[in-house]
Amino acid sequence: MENLLATSPETRSQPAAGLGATPVLRLTNIEKVYQTKTIETVALNQVNLTINRGEFVSVMGPSGCGKSTLLSLMGLLDEPTSGTIEVDGRAVQSYSDRELAGLRNLKIGFVFQSYHLINDLSVVDNVEVPLLYRKSMGGRECRQRALAALDKVGLSARTGHFPSQLSGGQRQRVAIARALAGGPEIILADEPTGNLDSVMGEEIMDLLLGLNRQDGVTIVMVTHDEQQALKTQRVVRFFDGSQVG
Amino acid sequence: MLRHLFTLIWNRKRANLLLISEVFFSFVVLFGVGAVLITVGKNYFTPHGFNYEDVWRLEVRAGQGLKMPRAELDDVVRQVKALPGVRTVALTSGNLPFIFNTNNSAFAYKGKKSPPTNYYDADDHYLEATQLHLREGRWFTQTDDGSNHRPVVITQDLREILFGDEPALGKIFTFSEPGPNIKPEDEFQVMGVVDNVNMESDFSAPIPAMWKRLIPYDTTHWETASMLVRVAPGEGGVLQEKIARTVAGVTRQWTTEVRVVNDDRLHRRMFTLVPVVGLCIMGLFLIINVALGLFGVLWYNISQRRAEIGLRRAMGATGAGIGWQFLGEMMVVTTFGVVLGAVLAAQFPLLNAFDLPAEPYLLAIGAAALAVYLITALCAWQPSRLAAGIQPAVALREE
Ligand SMILES: Nc1ncnc2c1ncn2[C@@H]1O[C@H](COP(=O)(O)OP(=O)(O)OP(=O)(O)O)[C@@H](O)[C@H]1O
Ligand SMILES: [Mg+2]
Repeated sequence: MENLLATSPETRSQPAAGLGATPVLRLTNIEKVYQTKTIETVALNQVNLTINRGEFVSVMGPSGCGKSTLLSLMGLLDEPTSGTIEVDGRAVQSYSDRELAGLRNLKIGFVFQSYHLINDLSVVDNVEVPLLYRKSMGGRECRQRALAALDKVGLSARTGHFPSQLSGGQRQRVAIARALAGGPEIILADEPTGNLDSVMGEEIMDLLLGLNRQDGVTIVMVTHDEQQALKTQRVVRFFDGSQVG
Repeated sequence: MLRHLFTLIWNRKRANLLLISEVFFSFVVLFGVGAVLITVGKNYFTPHGFNYEDVWRLEVRAGQGLKMPRAELDDVVRQVKALPGVRTVALTSGNLPFIFNTNNSAFAYKGKKSPPTNYYDADDHYLEATQLHLREGRWFTQTDDGSNHRPVVITQDLREILFGDEPALGKIFTFSEPGPNIKPEDEFQVMGVVDNVNMESDFSAPIPAMWKRLIPYDTTHWETASMLVRVAPGEGGVLQEKIARTVAGVTRQWTTEVRVVNDDRLHRRMFTLVPVVGLCIMGLFLIINVALGLFGVLWYNISQRRAEIGLRRAMGATGAGIGWQFLGEMMVVTTFGVVLGAVLAAQFPLLNAFDLPAEPYLLAIGAAALAVYLITALCAWQPSRLAAGIQPAVALREE
């Protein structure tokens, strides 16, 4: 598991524009059904999707079409009703709880649509959370990495604030910093710029593009912004739980 | 991780204050109940310091206004003692073991004053009849007839109070308020020391006691003579009747009552049992109540944090990691409550409250702490593991 920690670009394959693309995430015949007392919602219906190493993919579609559901399945935060998810060519079902935790911790950086910050922790403590679950990382390194990540999203001046003292956009940037801090191979971002003004949105977009191009980070981003989607390598469109393009 | 834990505890101080106070009150209640139950239990298992098996009490009454001449009483004692199956007969005062009749007073030696001390009259055969455990010196004998003072035997606890580390044998003490001119028979000279004794009830603690030698006496003003009779194991009603007949054979005017001391003990226990059982039930009720309260508060506290648990799982915590984190957090919080409670509880032994020994208090502190920690551990581990068991995406939706 330790080798996943390495962030040096040469251990990663080149951005996927081209031959020899290696799939990091593969979804096959995915179906996700939400069962409530009254109704059954098919949030995803027969989705087949492969994300290759180094790709930057946009996911688009109208509200309620299943984008967040898709992302949480890719982030190993939920189980599909049927179908298989493979990470690095290995089916997720075969991973133990411990291994899954390791994957979430080391491989994936997740930006939630609704941020999900811990209200009882300051900004910098929130960003540190994923780093705490790395046995090899000392307290000082955690803090340095967290501060560096906050610097990248332009929040150096707010490290001691609590989430309740931040604007929506600022919270979103904390959530992004938290996803970046661990130096993940894959970033799954659910509308990371949804709450940002256009200037800040541009900056975050540039940040993600930089990570993708320079560090070879694989990125899947949900967005409603066509302009942003155009900057990514591939756009996947959803409608009513099904992939339409 | 440790720093993170403390940061979290500090940042959640308002919620934690509630928890701490719940732990504090639970601890104090558990301590109080524990101290009472431990004291009662300890008394129950503390030896009585004498052997009440095969001992009967024999009370001979001369009836109102009637005299009880010495010669006839001596005859009674001699003839009863001679009965087969009777080992010994000891004359003593009316405050016999386990009956509701006590004589107590404070005694003093060189300014050191004893707490209320049971005192008894006892003749030279009393040791044999009761089988008290002699630690120092000897019991009374006929050689004491010429003594200028009243020979006495005291219990170890009284010895420690009056004489401390000094030798006790031969020392002379008095009632703590003996009045202006002390009679020689009220100057008590220590002849022996016996183990602590509890002649009250199974649930009482031993209290200091003293036996004064029944000096050669004029019994004409006695209305009742009380005796302890040690009999051979297995003796019963037949011998009791024989004793009654023997007394009647000496004089028809006296009435006789023979009772088994062990029956007196059981009878006395019945009386003490009612409040003790009541106390135990109340204690148990309180313990359950407090445990449920603590359980509820902790469980609620963690259920409130299911989203946080989901997030931590999403960030890479393992299920066990979540369990340990919450266990650690709650243990720290609990420790604050327990320490506060222990500081309060420690005042009882420190201030010597209720004149009880420190040991049951300390045991109760330990037991209360253990119980609180156990409940906390359970209530931190179980719900956090449950929350960690569900999919992070599901837990996160619960915000
Ligand atoms: N826990 C749930 N229980 C029941 N239905 C759910 C649950 N979560 C999502 N859904 C339903 O699944 C469908 C897809 O939801 P999802 O959150 O994936 O949409 P989305 O594409 O992310 O929408 P938006 O753009 O508004 O974020 C919706 O119809 C939603 O109502
Ligand atoms: Mg969504």
